[in-house]
Amino acid sequence: MEKLKLNETPVRTSRNYNINNITLENIKIPENIESFENVEIKGESSKIKIDSKVNNCDLVYGLLDTLTNQVKEHANQKLMVSIDSKTNQEVQIGFTFDNKNSQLIDHIQVESRENTKATVIIKYEAKEGVEAFHNGMIKIHAKKGSEINVILLNLMNLSSNHFMSIENELEEDANLKYTIIDFGGKNSISNYYANLKGNSCQNTLNTIYLGKENQVFDLNYIGELRGEKSNINIEVEGALRDTAKKHFKGTIDFKKGCKKASGNENENCMLLSDTAKSLALPMLLCSEEEVEGNHSSSAGKVGDKELFYIMSRGFEKKEAMKLMVRAKFNKIIENIKNEELKNKVIEEIDKRLD
Amino acid sequence: MSNKLLEIKDLYVNAEDKEILKGINLSINKGEIHVIMGPNGSGKTTTANAILNNPIYTKQKGSIEFEGQDITNLKTDEIARNGIFMSFQLPEEIPGVSVTNFLKYAKNKVTGKPVKIFEFKNELKKYMEELNMNPKNMERSLNVGFSGGEKKKNEILQMLVLNPKLAILDETDSGLDVDAIKTVSKGIEMFKNKKNAVLIITHNTKILHSLKVDYVHVLVDGKIVKTGSQELAKEIEENGYAKYKQ
Amino acid sequence: MAKTKLDEINRNIYDIKNKDEYDFKIKKGLTPEIIEEISKQKDDPQWMREFRLKALEVYNKLELPTWGPDLSELDMNEIATYVRPKTSLNSSWEDVPEDIKNTFDKLGIPEAEKESLAGVGAQYDSEVVYHSMKQELIKQGVIYTDMESALKKYPDLVKEHFMKCVPVYDHKFVALHGAVWSGGSFVYVPKGVKVDIPLQSYFRLNSPESGQFEHTLIIVDEGASLHFIEGCSAPKYNKVNLHAGCVELYVKDNAYLRYSTIENWSKNMLNLNTKKAIVGKNAKMDWVSGSFGSKISMLYPMSILNGEGAKTEYTGISFAGKGQNLDNGFKVVHNAKNTSSVVNAKSISKNGGKCTYRSLVRINENAASSKSSVSCESLMLDDISVSDTIPVNDIRTDEVEFSHEAKIGKISDKTIFYLMSRGLSEEDAKAMIVRGFAYPISKELPVEYAVEMNNLINLELEGAIG
Repeated sequence: MEKLKLNETPVRTSRNYNINNITLENIKIPENIESFENVEIKGESSKIKIDSKVNNCDLVYGLLDTLTNQVKEHANQKLMVSIDSKTNQEVQIGFTFDNKNSQLIDHIQVESRENTKATVIIKYEAKEGVEAFHNGMIKIHAKKGSEINVILLNLMNLSSNHFMSIENELEEDANLKYTIIDFGGKNSISNYYANLKGNSCQNTLNTIYLGKENQVFDLNYIGELRGEKSNINIEVEGALRDTAKKHFKGTIDFKKGCKKASGNENENCMLLSDTAKSLALPMLLCSEEEVEGNHSSSAGKVGDKELFYIMSRGFEKKEAMKLMVRAKFNKIIENIKNEELKNKVIEEIDKRLD
Repeated sequence: MSNKLLEIKDLYVNAEDKEILKGINLSINKGEIHVIMGPNGSGKTTTANAILNNPIYTKQKGSIEFEGQDITNLKTDEIARNGIFMSFQLPEEIPGVSVTNFLKYAKNKVTGKPVKIFEFKNELKKYMEELNMNPKNMERSLNVGFSGGEKKKNEILQMLVLNPKLAILDETDSGLDVDAIKTVSKGIEMFKNKKNAVLIITHNTKILHSLKVDYVHVLVDGKIVKTGSQELAKEIEENGYAKYKQ
Repeated sequence: MAKTKLDEINRNIYDIKNKDEYDFKIKKGLTPEIIEEISKQKDDPQWMREFRLKALEVYNKLELPTWGPDLSELDMNEIATYVRPKTSLNSSWEDVPEDIKNTFDKLGIPEAEKESLAGVGAQYDSEVVYHSMKQELIKQGVIYTDMESALKKYPDLVKEHFMKCVPVYDHKFVALHGAVWSGGSFVYVPKGVKVDIPLQSYFRLNSPESGQFEHTLIIVDEGASLHFIEGCSAPKYNKVNLHAGCVELYVKDNAYLRYSTIENWSKNMLNLNTKKAIVGKNAKMDWVSGSFGSKISMLYPMSILNGEGAKTEYTGISFAGKGQNLDNGFKVVHNAKNTSSVVNAKSISKNGGKCTYRSLVRINENAASSKSSVSCESLMLDDISVSDTIPVNDIRTDEVEFSHEAKIGKISDKTIFYLMSRGLSEEDAKAMIVRGFAYPISKELPVEYAVEMNNLINLELEGAIG
């Protein structure tokens, strides 16, 4: 059992604020990795090919060297997704954890050719009772003019550990939309980095998280704007109940040369109990003059007035709460065009709020 | 002495590499009111901005003279100090700078003389009453939180206070109700005399119901395609621009 | 649009150097012997001597911060921590030596005293050289004196509060302060007494390669109110000077304190100052802060809202030019029900300067029904400057209303064009926009300080306003 200090912010602030990194006690990083077979792939075609020829697992940030190296050396699932579709096609990759498949070290790489379009759905789901360990890396390279839509679902159970490192590189006019549904894991620790190096490239990141019991979420999102007129929009909506805890670290970094770039970051946390905790560090770093950066962050409980209004229409309190949370999440859930998946997410929200 | 105020000769102007004005000729004398009308995108706002030499528009060819002096490439503030005023379609908001302080400072810059506070405040008060403006706006930050109508009236107020030789009103009447348009017309009447001139830029003709004008120019696709009297405005009100478009 | 030429400003009056004349200057460095010597020179009581030595131990144990500006150029072996001016404390300007009095004259202190202040303290290097307060306040029982006199005259009151609000182990430079502190002001406003006219202390550091470590301790008793103003400046030298003052404010139940600062240290100054207030039930603490000088500044005033219904407001502006790294901000801890905090922070970066807004808002478990709203705005005046916003929001209970907003950007070309079309030159237009940007802060300052702040902005934006 180890004590891990991970997910460092790009810029440090006072140690007393406990947000420069997250410390996790009693985590075991498995050494002898078993195989993982429960992988389901749908939608593969001549235009979207999947094989195991991944070739790049270097990270600029990452969660922790130990975890990055584990992916480098011991990945038990390697998937290279090559996109060549001119019209939007959907591919799904699903990992299901059970007693026989409880350790997943996966390395997913997505490469799009110029001016292509695709939707990539990646789902991690753990059956009840399984004490799973997941350490994953997703690297996306969006070439010139390509449009990639990623839906990432973390539907792990509450006895698992979920570690996720995401890195994206965006070329000129590329448009990357990321939707993250972050629900599961006793610990859900994720690092998201986007390098917006191309002119006029665009990255949208929408996340919803939902924490209960003693879940811990640590979200470290970093967007570096380098290209002229590049744009990043980060929108995070979350709800916490019981003694769940969330750390949100969001950095929008306007690097020198990103003239006319813009970045927005918006983080809202609904506190559903008086013991839930929300810690946030929404950073704006700027070394360029002609930019527009905004961030906003808020926290608080569901409005009494709204709650009363809904209850006056015959809903009991719990139902009313659910309705409110769903309403908050709705805008982001709407990004999921796959109806089956969308319903699954709504179902999960209801289940987790019961 | 010459009566001529503004003379635009064969003016070509680009906005972000797109050619907008394609050879404008326009001459305005003291004592005249001119109107430039035209459909959306014909180059009306560009014309106004080009006269004030807004750096986001680039002049490709042609010249602008004001009282015989070439002002084509003067800086905006120099042009303003020469006596040209422009009322903006979308006036900018300046937080932390009150209307009074702003106007006092601008008046000082335009006239090059210190402003006498007492006289200035009285003058301001008088104009605000005439324009049905809330006197409380005097101490508010310039245009911040003003309604569309308040902003437009504030532009007219600035015109009256700064008292230019040529006032260019860019879509000052657009988005206003009938009463507000009347107030704007009243402001123009107050301003107008034999020694100055007004150039009204508009895409509709409402303001011409309460104002007598000398010349109407029709601007289509970056060129003045027809010039006439107030009658021309009436004709356009009835028939639109269709017949002037290719 | 052409770039405005913005060179380093002529800081004129602030830069007047007097000869480095003193009564006593301690040798450079930081050893127990040096601390003992300072203590001896200052004729400390025994407990204070022990306190200083203890603080030095803490100083030696603590690390430099692992975040924020690089402080590696600070070498305590090159800093003289105690410089006693060649005069003792005076209560009449006539008795203050000519060159020192001239400096304060030029800074406008005696003038302001006559016109708009209820009391003035003036510190020159390590000691207070002038202190005076209006008779009527003395009659009401208000105490306003230098810290050394307070230590002798009101030993119990000082001992009860001294470095209790800001304990020496808070961080390394607080420990340093504890070891070498000298000068500063002590204020006590008795229950129910409202001091309507501000008190002001001015701190001037003249001696090169030295530090100023003044201690300000203010107690506003129940139901009382006070406005306290602090000003600071120094002429520029080639080597670094250090300022590590400490301000401790006790705002008792139902009391009100406004603490305004205009900081205009020279650009060789490391300003590592610590300010904290403990705010009682239904009391209110307001901070108004303008930060213009210093090479490096790390300053985060803090309000601890310990009483139910306590409130605090922070209104601050930083203006960083060439070679400046101003890492400023605010900290608030909500420690009781129904507390509220409002933050309005602005920054301007130009000519390669760096501004950072660093903050903490913590709403603790016991602070139900509390509210906090934070707004930060940063203005970039060119593309070689830097502006960072690093706020931590730590919300530990649900019944709160918390919101935070930040914006970063430049002056829009459209706005400049609009103002130029009214006859203002580009420089004038920019200066007007910047002054407007700073207005929410300058309007909170007493009028002569607002004027000084506008002058500083104009100085910084060379060539503006006639």
